[in-house]
Amino acid sequence: MSVIERIRSAPSDALELANVLLTTDDAVVGATPREVIWTHGNTTLYRYRSAERCHAVPILLVFALINRPEIFDLRPGGSLVEFLLAEGFDVFLVDWGVPGEENAEMGLEEYVCDELHWAVRETLRASGAAELSLMGWCIGATLCAMYAGLDRGGESTSVRNLVLMTMPIDGRGSRYATWVGDEGFDVDGVAEAHRVIPGAGVDFANKLLKPVSNFWTTYRRVAQGISDGTFKRESYQPMAKWVADNPPFPGRAWAQWIRLMYRDDALARGHVRLRGRRVDLARIDQNLLIVTAAGDHIAPREGTMPIFDLVSSEDVTHFDRPGGHIGLIAGSAAVGEIWPDLAAWLGERSGR
Amino acid sequence: MAGTSNGTKASVQPIRSPSEQAETETTKAMEGLVAKPSFGRLLTVTAENTAALTRIGYDIADLVLRNLRLAGRADITSLARQLRRTEDKLERVLQEVESLRDQLPSESGATSADRDLVKRR
Repeated sequence: MSVIERIRSAPSDALELANVLLTTDDAVVGATPREVIWTHGNTTLYRYRSAERCHAVPILLVFALINRPEIFDLRPGGSLVEFLLAEGFDVFLVDWGVPGEENAEMGLEEYVCDELHWAVRETLRASGAAELSLMGWCIGATLCAMYAGLDRGGESTSVRNLVLMTMPIDGRGSRYATWVGDEGFDVDGVAEAHRVIPGAGVDFANKLLKPVSNFWTTYRRVAQGISDGTFKRESYQPMAKWVADNPPFPGRAWAQWIRLMYRDDALARGHVRLRGRRVDLARIDQNLLIVTAAGDHIAPREGTMPIFDLVSSEDVTHFDRPGGHIGLIAGSAAVGEIWPDLAAWLGERSGR
Repeated sequence: MAGTSNGTKASVQPIRSPSEQAETETTKAMEGLVAKPSFGRLLTVTAENTAALTRIGYDIADLVLRNLRLAGRADITSLARQLRRTEDKLERVLQEVESLRDQLPSESGATSADRDLVKRR
């Protein structure tokens, strides 16, 4: 195609680009059939039943508070849930829902001690299993680590395998810390005024980490792909829809998160207490899989690495792969690269 | 196909190269800019100001609605919070009931065994 031909096709390319952008919200995400097992407040526990179940230990998926958990089930052919079902796992997913102002008082203790704890309980009840695999991603992974490290007064957890993907535990080296780490920033005042931090605000801040890439390059690449004939609508639209779907962050949990993650090393130092119960990562003694992404600018690998010196698990595996915070697990390459390894690791540890 | 693709690249290269270079340079410059503490300060002050304006806006709107004898946002939020507390309590009661129900089979088993023993005596 010559430059002249390219100019001639520009109007139809522009029309196609507009169509792609305008119909992104129509993309189907989270299409795998599922059933509601339990609800409490905004939290919903879903079950995806495997027709070929061959592993006794179910998997409970936990995502972050700042995006929707549909990233685990993005699109047919590109869904981690679908993949795990095909590998014979019984899969459960905890969805934190969309908090409203009435949830402004929800803190990390509500998420860890109530919602997650009860989701684990209901997963075990529904599956009939005695133990489960807990798989957390981003903030969801930190919540899972906190849950596993929570002081239970000697009582053991029902978590056999713990998978922590792109998990921040010390964010002081990240760019967020440059922004909100300063004690002069009145994090409580902002939380109190907004009650729930608007999802669009959190999304805007995330995009500011790489402003040109997020506000320009993404769209330029779409336009270029359309022009070159290499654009894949079925890959782009579900991801773009998911990225733009940002639930609000309950104000109290947000303020706690900023303090423990970007102002001090509270989690690694064992200074976090939830309802008076200490969170000590040394209590993590489950089979442990840590997944880090070399190109992760949201939860840089350096912020995850301290966990290896803290846990007391004897079975520790580390997958350190190229890729970004989300792309590593949900990108188009994940299906052939990291998912089989995840399933193999879990499969070896999910027998009766 | 490969020839066409190469041809395409070659024909648009003179246009794309400078623009891509400019984009790369801008990306680096902007990422350097947002990494500065001064940018962080700008961002946090903006967030604080937005929060203050939001609070003032909410307060005025609630005042207007209250004077009109209508339920405002704060009233509805308060109701929703009370509902949530009630649901919390119900959830805890439900868990206790389930826990007791889980204990029942063994207890009823013991009871029927005791009954059997009594009958046998």
